[in-house]
Amino acid sequence: MSSKRVLEIFLKDFKLGPRSPLFLFAIAIPLLLTFLIQVVFGDLFDPSPRLAVVDLGDSEITKEVKKLEGIDVTVLDDFDEMKDGVESHDFDAGFVLQENFDQMVRDEQRPELEFFISGESLASERIILSVTMIDLIRKVEGLDSPVEIEVVTFGEELAPMSERLVPLILFYALFVAGVFVKGMSIVEEKEKGTLRAILTTPTKMIEFVLAKGILGFVIAIIITFITLLLNNAIGNQPFALLLTLFVSVIMIIQIGIIFALLSKDVKALYTFVKSVGFVLFMPAVFYIWPDLPQWIAKIFPTYWMIDPIYKIGVEGLGLGDVWFELLIAFLIVLLLVPVVIFLSKRVERSLAM
Amino acid sequence: MKKVVVEAKNISYSYGDFLAVKDVSFSLNSGEVLGFLGPNGAGKTTVIKMLTGQLEVQKGSIKIFGKRLKKEDSEIRKRIGVCFEEKNLYENMTARENLQFFAKLFGIQKYDFDKALKRVDLAGRADDRVGTFSKGMRQRLMIARTLLNTPDILFLDEPTSGLDPTSSQAIREIIREEMERGATVFLTTHDMHEADQLSHKVAFINEGEIVALDTPENLKVEHGKRSVKVRVRRGKKIETKTLSLEDEGVGEKIKSLVDSKKLLTIHTEESNLEDIFIKLTGRRLE
Repeated sequence: MSSKRVLEIFLKDFKLGPRSPLFLFAIAIPLLLTFLIQVVFGDLFDPSPRLAVVDLGDSEITKEVKKLEGIDVTVLDDFDEMKDGVESHDFDAGFVLQENFDQMVRDEQRPELEFFISGESLASERIILSVTMIDLIRKVEGLDSPVEIEVVTFGEELAPMSERLVPLILFYALFVAGVFVKGMSIVEEKEKGTLRAILTTPTKMIEFVLAKGILGFVIAIIITFITLLLNNAIGNQPFALLLTLFVSVIMIIQIGIIFALLSKDVKALYTFVKSVGFVLFMPAVFYIWPDLPQWIAKIFPTYWMIDPIYKIGVEGLGLGDVWFELLIAFLIVLLLVPVVIFLSKRVERSLAM
Repeated sequence: MKKVVVEAKNISYSYGDFLAVKDVSFSLNSGEVLGFLGPNGAGKTTVIKMLTGQLEVQKGSIKIFGKRLKKEDSEIRKRIGVCFEEKNLYENMTARENLQFFAKLFGIQKYDFDKALKRVDLAGRADDRVGTFSKGMRQRLMIARTLLNTPDILFLDEPTSGLDPTSSQAIREIIREEMERGATVFLTTHDMHEADQLSHKVAFINEGEIVALDTPENLKVEHGKRSVKVRVRRGKKIETKTLSLEDEGVGEKIKSLVDSKKLLTIHTEESNLEDIFIKLTGRRLE
C-alpha cells in the first residue's frame, strides 16, 4: 500500500470539494441547523427581556433595575423614543418614571405608571418584567413581598431542550460529513468510471477506500467540533472529547463506506440514505424525550458512538465515566473492518464487469 | 529480436451462465499492433479487461512481459496504458489537473503537461474544465492520460468510436507515433478500415471466439475474392465483367482482351476486412 497515492486521492477530493455544491451544502447545513435550533430553543439568540426606562427624575427604581441580572435595561431620555422602540419590538416593555416618583410612592399618592408592552414580546418576558417592576416598587415603598415563594421541581429535572437537541445536531453533522459527502464521492467515482481509471494505475482499491475514509474523517471531525463548539458542548476534558470523537467518526465513516459500496449509483445512495438513514438517527430521539425507555436506544449501534460524546461534551463527565460505551463503540469499529474490506473487493470485481 | 509481450492461452470468461469469451489464444510481440475486430457484444472489452487485470481470468492464462498476470499487479500497471471506451475523466477538473492527478498516481515526478496537451491539440484548453469539452476533445485527453506513463503496452478500447473524422485521424496519428516509439498496441475496434490501416495483425472475434487471426494482407489473400473487374468496349456499349482468377483459362481470356484492344480498364477485386468478417461469421461489424 502506498501512503503517497492515498494522500494524492485525498488531496484531489479535498481540492475539488469547494467546487461541489453538495460539499458546501453538507458543511453549511449542520451549522445552519445549530443556528436554527439555538434560535428556537437555545442560548445563542435567547436574549434577556429588554426593558426601556425613561426616568424624568432620579428614581431608585432605575438604579435597582440596572443592577438586575438577566434583564437588559436601556435608559432613554424621551418618551417617544421609548414608545417607538417598544412598538418596533426593540424593547419588550418600557415605562416612564415621572419626577419625584419614589417620593410619591412613599407618600402613598399612588402615582400613575404606564407600562408599555410590545405586541411581539413573549408571554414569559412580559411576566418577568411585570413582576420585577412590582417588586421594585414595593422596595421603594419600603414593603416586603407579601408572600414567600419557594420553587419545588417535581420529577427528574430535564436538561434544557437546546442541550437535548445536541445529539440530533451531532448526528446530522456526522451523517452529512461521514456518510453523505463521502458516500457521494465514492458512488460518483463508481458511476462516472473514474474509479476504473484509477484502478488501472498502480493504485489499489484499498488505497482508494482509505483516501475516501480520510476525506470523510477530516470533514466530519471539523464539522462535528464546530457543531459542539457552537452548542457550547465541549465539556472540560478536551483529550477525552477528542478520543471519543475519533472513535465515533471512524464508526460513521465505516457506515458511510458501507452505504456507498452497496449503492450502485447516486440514485441508489439517495434511496439507501432515505430508507436506512433514520435508523442511524434513532438514538437522538431518546435524548430529546428522556422519559422513553432508554434501553431501546442501546439497540442501535450509533448510540454507542454518540453517548460518550454527549456525556463528555454536554454533561461534563470524564473518560472514566464513559469507558464502557467507548469500548462498545470501539468493538463495533473493529467488527466493521472486515465488512468494509469484503465490500471493497466485491465492488472492485463488479466494476470490471 | 522482438519479444513476446502479451500471451493469452485459452482464456475464457463467463458472466453467470453467459460465456463471454471462449478459449481465446493469441500472442503479441513488442512493437506490434493487434487489431481486435468484432461487433458489439462479441467479447472485445472482456478480453481487454482480462489483459489489464481488471477481470480475473477464469480459465486459461495470461502472461504480460513474460510474467503471469495477477490482480492489482502494480509493476505491470506501471508499464501499461489503458484507454477506455467510456470517457471517465473528472469533469470538474481542468485538462491539466486531470493529467496531473493521474501522473501522481503513477508516481511520475516530472512531466511536461503542456507538451502532452499540445500533442493532443488541447494546449489552448489546458486550464478549462473537462465538463466543457466536446466528445472528441475528451477522447484526445483520454489518449493523453493513457500515455502519461510512456507505456510499453497500450490497450485502446474503441479509441475513435463516435468521433468526427478529424479527431479520429488525430488519434490514429498518435497511435502510429507510439508504434514508432516501440509501444505494443492492443486495439479493439469495429472500424475495419482503422484496423486495416494500423494493425500488424488482426483478430476477428465473434460470440467470444476468435474466428481468424493473421495479418490483414494474409486474411485478404486467404479469405478474399481472387478476381479482376474488366471494362470492355462492345460496339458502342461499355460492358463490365468480373473474371475469377480461379477459373481455368482466365489468363488467356485476359490476354485476348488486351490484344483485341477492346479492354478499357482492369481492376483487382480485393476484399476488405469487413467482407471477410461477414464471410466468416455471417454478421456485419456494427
